[in-house]
Amino acid sequence: MNDFSELENELKKLRPAQPSPILFERVEKAMGVWRAGASPARQPKRSPYNWLSLGLGLAAAAVLFLFATINMERTQERREKIAQISPAPETSSVLPERRNGSGGSTSLNRFIPTGATQVVYNTRDEGLQFALGSEQPLRRLRYQTHQTWQWRNPTTGASLRVSYPSEEVVLIPVSGQ
Amino acid sequence: MRTWQRLGYKDREKVMDNVGTHENWKSCFSEVAPGLLLFARQWVQSAADAEDVVQEAFVKFWRRNHNIENRALLYAAVRSIAFDFIRRDKRRARREAIVFADAEPAIEPQFEWQDETQSTLAAAVGSLPHDQREVLVLKIWNELTFNEIASALGISQNTAASRYRYALANLKKSLQPQ
Repeated sequence: MNDFSELENELKKLRPAQPSPILFERVEKAMGVWRAGASPARQPKRSPYNWLSLGLGLAAAAVLFLFATINMERTQERREKIAQISPAPETSSVLPERRNGSGGSTSLNRFIPTGATQVVYNTRDEGLQFALGSEQPLRRLRYQTHQTWQWRNPTTGASLRVSYPSEEVVLIPVSGQ
Repeated sequence: MRTWQRLGYKDREKVMDNVGTHENWKSCFSEVAPGLLLFARQWVQSAADAEDVVQEAFVKFWRRNHNIENRALLYAAVRSIAFDFIRRDKRRARREAIVFADAEPAIEPQFEWQDETQSTLAAAVGSLPHDQREVLVLKIWNELTFNEIASALGISQNTAASRYRYALANLKKSLQPQ
């Protein structure tokens, strides 16, 4: 029970003093100054998530996933090819041999080495060293190289190239003066 | 002159939505301004100063793009700016007090009364303790819930409710014929 309801009704009938018309003009001016200034315009309530960024991120992740899947498949195929061309017939093939009377796929998948390059892109002199039990000094040189090997299948025209970085350490005996 | 109308709950929500989406800030401001001014008058004496406070608070509130559903924040902004205004104005007020010491203080009315009864009621509201009066103003003329009042004033909801009850009890007591 509210015994103040009558009083509350009386209070609600009481009207607050009205603002002067100048106030509206002043507020309007202040709003105008603000909008004309460097402050950004008022925008509707933003979502806490940036959907565009989220969408782009997901799209990028999907593309990366597809690339990774394709690369894995290609790597698998390449491994099978390398396994097929490797000159290691000492062990029996795990894969079942073809029995279609064509004599297998060896001739078709035969790759011939066509080139090998070794590019030395850095040489570092690591100074003189004495090997254990030796009185002769050795100069230690470290070569950093990039090696590339190429094969080609003359029948199909397919080529295979393998590149990898390598490092080589060379010990050169230094003769006494 | 446009008559002041009390807004229903749904209408009020609509008005505040308009403030939030910047569709018509003028109509929104015209609806909330009388209540805001009355609230500001709890700290500043003159209507002009109260208008300064309300202007600053409203523009700041708008500019900061606050969530309009948090109505208490607008009233908290008015209160905070009024306190700043009092601090800024203390020195000036002291100077003015010395200059106008002999003059009759002009008290501007906070309400527009239509008869003697309303005049008495307005005077009774003005004589309430400050902490009770601000809760009463927020509840009756700004239609804030006790929860919103608590947020705006930085007090508990129970404190807001009890201050409101004390205010009504004091008013009733002061309006009773001697």
